[in-house]
Order: sequence, then C-alpha cells, then structure tokens
Amino acid sequence: MGESLLQALTQVGDLYTLSLIFAGVLFGIIGGSIPGFTVTMAILVVFPFTFSMDPVSGIALMVGVFVGGYSGGIVSGVMLGIPGTPSSITTVYDGYPMAKKGEPGRALGIGMFASFFGTLISILMLVFFGPLIAKFSMNFRPWEITALIVFALTLVAGLSNGALLKGLMAAAIGLFITTVGFDRNSNLRFDFGFEPLSDGFEILPVMIGVFAFSQLMSNVQSLGSEQSGKKEGISTSLKIPYRKIIIDLSRQKINIIRSSIIGGLVGALPGTGGTVANFLSYDQAKKLSRDPSKYGTGIPDGIIASEASNSAVAGGAFIPTLALGIPGDLPMAIMMGVLILHGITPGPLMFEQNPILVGSIYASLLIAAFVMVFCQILLLRWFAKISKVPQQILVPSVLMLCAVGSFALNNNLFDVWVLFIFGILGYLLWKAAVPLTPLILGVVLGNNLETQMFRALELDPSWTTFFTRPFSAFFFALALISVVFSILQNRRIAHTLKPKATIEARP
Amino acid sequence: MNKDRYLAIAVLLMVVILFIESENIPEKTSWQAYGSALYPQILLGIIGVTATLVLLKSFINIAPIEQDGSKKRLVFDWKVFGIFVIFGSYAALLPILGYLISTMVFMVTMQGLLLEVNTPKKWVVNILTSGIMVPLVYVIFKFGLNVWLP
Repeated sequence: MGESLLQALTQVGDLYTLSLIFAGVLFGIIGGSIPGFTVTMAILVVFPFTFSMDPVSGIALMVGVFVGGYSGGIVSGVMLGIPGTPSSITTVYDGYPMAKKGEPGRALGIGMFASFFGTLISILMLVFFGPLIAKFSMNFRPWEITALIVFALTLVAGLSNGALLKGLMAAAIGLFITTVGFDRNSNLRFDFGFEPLSDGFEILPVMIGVFAFSQLMSNVQSLGSEQSGKKEGISTSLKIPYRKIIIDLSRQKINIIRSSIIGGLVGALPGTGGTVANFLSYDQAKKLSRDPSKYGTGIPDGIIASEASNSAVAGGAFIPTLALGIPGDLPMAIMMGVLILHGITPGPLMFEQNPILVGSIYASLLIAAFVMVFCQILLLRWFAKISKVPQQILVPSVLMLCAVGSFALNNNLFDVWVLFIFGILGYLLWKAAVPLTPLILGVVLGNNLETQMFRALELDPSWTTFFTRPFSAFFFALALISVVFSILQNRRIAHTLKPKATIEARP
Repeated sequence: MNKDRYLAIAVLLMVVILFIESENIPEKTSWQAYGSALYPQILLGIIGVTATLVLLKSFINIAPIEQDGSKKRLVFDWKVFGIFVIFGSYAALLPILGYLISTMVFMVTMQGLLLEVNTPKKWVVNILTSGIMVPLVYVIFKFGLNVWLP
C-alpha cells in the first residue's frame, strides 16, 4: 500500500491535479456558502466537467468539491443566519449570534479551523478502517452483498423523517428505474417500443433530475416567504482574530476530537450524513458541557462541535463507499455514480485492483483539507459576498449547467429529456413528501443488487440460502430491525403529535 | 382526498401498467434459473404493497406526521410551472437552434420569469448574467474539455 500511496501522491501532486483540487474546493465552498445550493448540487454541477478527464483527475476535482462544500456551509450560516447546507444547521445556533455580537471573523475562523481538523481526523479514520473493512468484506459472496444492499436501503428508508412506507416505496422505485433496457441476459425490458429506452437510463440525468429539480423548485417556492422575513445580514468587511481563534481552539481539543469522531462514524453509516452528524455532535457537546445554557448564545464550543463533525463526514462517508460499495450519504451516492461512470466499481476489490486510485482519494482529501483552509483564509470576505447571490439568478444558471452536463455525458439529447422527465417526477414526489434519498440510492445500487441476487441464485437456486449463511442472515436481520425500529419511532412521533393535531382540527 | 391518497392511487396505476408490460419480457431459457421478468416483478410487488399501505393509512384517522414545510409543498406555484414549461421548450429547441441561441433564450426567459423584470436595472442584470454565463460554459466545454455542444 505504501508504494501505491507514494505513486498516488506523485499523480495527485502534479500541477494540473493540484489546480483541479483547488478549483473543486473553491467551487465547493461557493456552493456550500449559497443557501439552498447544497454540497450535493455542487457535486452534480461539477461532475460533467470530469467527463474528459482521467479517473484520478476527475476524482481529485470531485473530492475538492466535497471537502469545500462541507466547509462552505458556515459562511451563510454566520453571515446570514441561514445554513448554506443542511449539514450546517447547528452552526447557525452559535455562529450567527457570535457574528451579531460583532465577531463574524472569529465565528468564521473557528468554523474554518474546526472543519480542517474534522477533515484530517476523518481521513485518518478512512486510512485506518477502510482497508480493514475491505479486507473483511472480501469474504462476502453474492448472498452477503445482496443482503448488505437491502440493509442499506431499508436503513435509508427508515431514516426518512417518519415516512418509512414512502421511503421503502421510493427505494423500490429507484431500483425499478434501473431495470429499463437490456438486462444481463440481453432481454429487453420496459422499452414500450421506444428505441432510446433500450439502453436504459443513464444514472447521472436521473439523479440530477430527481434531486436538482426538486431542490431548486423548493427554493423557488420559498422565494416569497424569504423575501418577507429576511434575516438581518452581517457586514461583509471581516477581520479574523487569529490569536483569539488559536486560544479558542486550544481550549476545545476534546470537543474537536469527539465531534470529529462522531462525524466520521456517522458518515460511515449508510443514510445518515452531515445533518445527523451535525445535530448529534452538537447535542453531545452541549450535554457534556459544564454550562449547557450558554449554547445558542454565540460560544466557540457550539461552532466547533458543529463544523468539526460535518466536515469529518467527508472522510467517514468514503469508508463504506470504497470498502463495501455502499454509499454513506446522498453526496456520496452521487460520488459513487461518478466512480461508476468513470468505469470504477467501488467495493472490497477496489483496494486490491485500484490501490493507486484509493491512494489518490486519500491524497486528494488531505490536500483538499489544506487548500480549503488556504482558500477560506484568503477569500473569506468574497465567499461572504457570494453567499448573497439571489436564487433568481442561481436557478436558471444551475438548470442550464444540469442540461449541458446531461447532454455532454453521451452527446445525446435524449439524456436532456430524461433529466426533464425525472425532474418532473422528483418534484411531484417531493410535493407528496416522498423522501428522495432512498430513490437516488436505489438508482445507484439497482444494477448491483440485481446482478448479485441472480448470481447467488445461479450458484444455488434456493432462496433459503440467503437466510442460512451467517452474514447474509445477519444483514437481513439488521434490515428487519431497522424497519421495526423506524415503525416504533414513527408511532412515538405520531403519538406526540396526536393531541396537537386534534386541537388544530377543531373548527 | 389528501396528497397521500393521490400518490398511492397514481403509483398503483403505474404498477398495474408496468406489471402488464412485464408480461412481454421473454420467458426464461433453459440455462436461466429465473426469467428476466422476476426481478422487476418483485420490485413492482414491493411498490404495490407499500402504495396500498399508504392508501389504507390515508383512510385511517390518525394524526399525520408533518414533514418539513409540507403545507408549503401543496401550494400550486405558477413560477414552478413556468420553469418546467421553459425547460421543456429549451430541450425541444436545443437541437434546432443549437446551444448558444437556445441557451441564451432559455436564460433570459427564465431570469425574466424569476426576477420579474420590470426595471432597467433588472434587465441589465438579466442580459449581463446570460451574456457571460452562456458563452463561458460554451468555451469551457468546447475548447477546455473538448466536449461537443450542439
């Protein structure tokens, strides 16, 4: 591995790749800074630019966006009181009050360095645990992989804000989308006599359509309410008090380490991601604090807990993606789509077959963490200004880039129509409160699930083998537990909401 | 009817259509353990069962679990409708007019809709943004990345 890592560092260390990481981080921070844009959207927009690149360069650019995006959410959170990404919601709790007290530079500086340390600690976790998990999962055969994918999908569906049934439905719809076109036995399915459907749907236009349209349309629908209730903005002329920040950080060493580990672990769990890490870490920091009542008033502790954890998700989320081929969260599902489109299949074999690529991901993450701090220090006040870009300009520009990206994938206009149709579908499902993450995960994992399931059945036609092999049975049991747990949780939420709903229903 | 009922009925209708279509998938051959229709039929079964449960749940008088902004979601928005119409027209015009003209028209129209262009300043913003973005993306893709655009 050491030799591969050295080779990877040489590849990533050339000027071209470094400039790509720099550009990726820059765009990621900008994307994360703009409220409603999100890390996922930034990844989707940048992805088409990687089509003509070799895998290492393409991945380096995307990793840059990924790291920059998770750290960029702090800018609008502190300056506008609006989180740039859902993973920086708790940053606002203390970042915005600190900025209102006249210390926006301190809040941004603390967040920036906490993000940096969070990313570094999560890279260590990835380097240590990734190969171990991959080595262990080398023993997995089609039965275990099938069960693992089913578990990942049920877990994601179960975590969909009290909408288990809709989450499961969305996951199944996502899986179904991948059945269109020729299957592995060259039988045509669901083409309805329409020739372009025989090749099936490309993952990218489907993902962009479902995610980007629903996200952008929700931003458009929010325009009116935001304009009426705009928060007080902070002046963008910033001074960063480095000495004060160093003192703040040195007093919060345990908080940084604890929050980073929480972020890394949460990132490694399928279906959780930055938002969960953010809340969990903030909650833990508050509970373990000597004075919890100070949280929310603008203290460094809250900003550190929040930013260290959400940035640590970056490294953590790569663990299941690279080691098992199961993405940890939505941005990672898209990253996995990126790897697949570049001809790389993430999974246990990747560590054996593509050690240089794995090493280049480690190296890109590490370099991106340093570039992120460098960019934030130099350009913070510009990011603060960019965070105020209105949605009216952003939405058409992003939609245009989505269309161009979908077209450029195969130089095929049909992909632009796929984007449009799935945009409508995504928007309608969002209107019906159907969670979209399980659907996207289903699209990413669909082909692999079918391949593994039928490979297992070809080896042994009996379905019971799925439940007699220990690890396969274990993953199915976990899937069942995740569903039961979600049902119980939904009942508890429904029970707490019932009296309120009864009162509201009275004329 | 609430939104869950609409959703469930629409999904069930789709399941029926797709299930009928799945009957056209070739039968399994002698060397296949299971036919190519089995996997999609299993998925249609899962979608059908979950949609039926959503439908049944919509009749049971229990407190709905509110999603974030679910009330906001149900409002019909003319701007959103307009965006879809403009995007659909853009997809149709792209092969006819080519990237530069159709994208320029798309950007100006879309920003016109969202910015509610009613002052000279907004017109300047609209034209400037479109005038910079469209050729910039063209140059990056065509000359920087060697990706052909229509």
